Amino acid sequence: MDMIKLIDLTKVYKGFRAVDKINLKVGKGVVFGFLGPNGAGKTTTIKMMAGVLAPTEGQIIINDTNLAREPSKVKRWVGFIPDRPFVYEKLSGLEFLQFIAGLYSLNNSPALRKKISELLDIFELSHWQQELVGSYSHGMKQRLVMCAALLHGPKVLIVDEPIVGLDPRGARLVKDIFRDQARMGTTIFMSTHSLQVAEEVCDEIAIIQEGEIIAQGSGDGLRHQAGVEGNLENIFLKLTEGKRIAHERPLSSN
Amino acid sequence: MSGLGLAFCAGMFAVSCRVLIYFQSAEMIGDVLARHLLSMIILTFFSLLVFSHIITALSNLYLSGDLELCHSTPVDVEELFVSRAVFTVMDSSWMLIIFGLPVFMAYAYVYRPGPVFYFTVLHMNLAMVIIAAGIGILLTMILVHVFPAQRTRDIIMLLLVLMMGALYLLFRFMRPERLVDPEAFFTVAQYLNALKAPQSPYLPTQWITETVWGSLIGSGGGILFGVALTWTTAAALVVINVWVARAVYFEGFSKSQEAKKRRLGGRRVLDLFAKFITKPFGGDLGAVISKDIRTFFRDNTQWSQLLLLIALVVVYVYNFTVLPLDKSPIRLDFLQNILAFLNMGLAGFVLAAVSARFVFTAISAEGEAYWIVRSSPLSLKRYLWGKYFSFLLPMLVLAEVLITLTNHMLEVSKFMMLLSSGTMFFMVFGIVALGIGYGALYPNFSCQNIAQVASGFGGVLFMIVSSLFIGIIIVLEAGPVYVLFISNLRGTPVTAYQWALIALSFLAAFLINMAAIFWPMKMGLRALREYE
Repeated sequence: MDMIKLIDLTKVYKGFRAVDKINLKVGKGVVFGFLGPNGAGKTTTIKMMAGVLAPTEGQIIINDTNLAREPSKVKRWVGFIPDRPFVYEKLSGLEFLQFIAGLYSLNNSPALRKKISELLDIFELSHWQQELVGSYSHGMKQRLVMCAALLHGPKVLIVDEPIVGLDPRGARLVKDIFRDQARMGTTIFMSTHSLQVAEEVCDEIAIIQEGEIIAQGSGDGLRHQAGVEGNLENIFLKLTEGKRIAHERPLSSN
Repeated sequence: MSGLGLAFCAGMFAVSCRVLIYFQSAEMIGDVLARHLLSMIILTFFSLLVFSHIITALSNLYLSGDLELCHSTPVDVEELFVSRAVFTVMDSSWMLIIFGLPVFMAYAYVYRPGPVFYFTVLHMNLAMVIIAAGIGILLTMILVHVFPAQRTRDIIMLLLVLMMGALYLLFRFMRPERLVDPEAFFTVAQYLNALKAPQSPYLPTQWITETVWGSLIGSGGGILFGVALTWTTAAALVVINVWVARAVYFEGFSKSQEAKKRRLGGRRVLDLFAKFITKPFGGDLGAVISKDIRTFFRDNTQWSQLLLLIALVVVYVYNFTVLPLDKSPIRLDFLQNILAFLNMGLAGFVLAAVSARFVFTAISAEGEAYWIVRSSPLSLKRYLWGKYFSFLLPMLVLAEVLITLTNHMLEVSKFMMLLSSGTMFFMVFGIVALGIGYGALYPNFSCQNIAQVASGFGGVLFMIVSSLFIGIIIVLEAGPVYVLFISNLRGTPVTAYQWALIALSFLAAFLINMAAIFWPMKMGLRALREYE
């Protein structure tokens, strides 16, 4: 069953086609990696899928429901983790999670309180839950946003650059959580710059360049499409024609 | 939109001309009154400029997000300070200068001065801005230096209290209420002397007033001393600011980067309050409103401004207690009716000012965390109307308290009391909708200081539109009341034609009110949906 379907998804900013007729399908319980160079259209696609940005054309179907037609219904199934964790700095960590619970109309029941407590423990934020979010570090805010995204038990998790700003321990934790969530049937759509993360976590990968999907499939499938062997970095560079790699031409020679 | 701004300027010009022409009709004291008015205007502008510079300087010099990057560059601290100070000056003064110009042009229109006046107005206004900026920025630097860094924002509260105190003292110094009461003086000469008395020879506003007035009436060389005093003070303040900045600016900036407040105070009270307020709104909206309440009370810049606005309301109400109504040559009941209408307009304006600061900024207050609302299942329509209703009740209470209290002091008739209260009640629905609607039309989610959002383009536009709305409603009601008053006075019945006109006026007022509620909300909703 396809949990995510993008049909001819397009976004045009003042004449510039940031995303150009993207078509994708992602199944249930799949961790889907969305890779691409800077400015390729990853964040724009993700923002449209999270309902933060309106597409110029095309459709986003999540769990067989059109996001444009029934946004509130679809958003109840989706958890969104943006690349930059902007949160309300005058709330404590606990108040922030209670606020999110309210937004998703979750009853303030003992079960909810237990879930909040568990998530705070998993993301190692229990000790800081009564402190203002404004005093949190970037990584702590990122972990708090992840708690918030998982609070309502989403069917689809949309994640933009999950590892940025996390220490190695936090990064390991997040990767483990994503795998666990996928095992429990959650579909994870994740953009990342880290090819290592994509290789470790993702079941399927799509590569986007200049707003278009240029390759899609499993690791082996991509190797076949690119016609190269080796790790994902080689495949990525080949597919995006990034022939000039660091140290090929030292900066000092400029 | 620029048309609306122009219309507002034209209105200010027309009103100022009307007042000055009226003053000129009074022999002997006409010019003295006009000069006194000029000194009051300049003093008000100057005070507002200092106030605005303090608020903006704190943000631009210490709290802006881009400052870390600026300080990490090889740019000299002194140069950095000067560039941020220049930015602060432009940011804080453009609006006041633009809206002040029609007043000066009205003086020019009435007094027909030579070209020297225009040049004087231009450079003296510039000097006034520099002096106000000098004082405002200097005060900010000293206070940030003195106070513990973790409490940087708290100093705003102190500054506001200081400013209020200073403003009050300055106005008391000018004793404006005595000027409308010649009987308080033994002789006409004494009255004239009181009017002519300078505010204080040490105040820059006094030098500016003298210089502008001198150039207006063409007193020639007499103005040079004022020009010299003003510009040397402006230049001295620039130099002093740079010296002080060299000594304390970086240290103050460094302190302001230290750890923010971590622990919460008074959480239980806030929990109870939020729970009580949000009960009728349901889970999702209740969560947003509860978050807004907590943010509001934990952000000192927010509630300190609320205190300032309360002070504004108190001063407004107090003014009515000192009005010498019984000494007026106009029929008391007629005067009371006029004042009741004037009061409606002024109270409406006070409400619009309060709304500009709190209602208009309600959407922008989400800041960069707006994505949370946008990606949540809460629909934008429900979100927008939720914000609307959360502000409606407090604004209704404020409006009714304000209008009932002041009308009670004016001892207006029961009919006028009812009409004023009813009108204000319905106008609040429109004013709040304009605030939320325009706030959604012109959101600023990246602003560091929410107070600045209210003084931006959208905020000014909201003030203009809401002032126009209040004006139109009052004008539409004034006609019917005048007809009823005259018919009552003369003992003649109101004709069918007049009844039809009265009904039409009230119908038009009702329709405009409805448009003011639904039109901006609709536009705001569309704008938020399309926001990228």
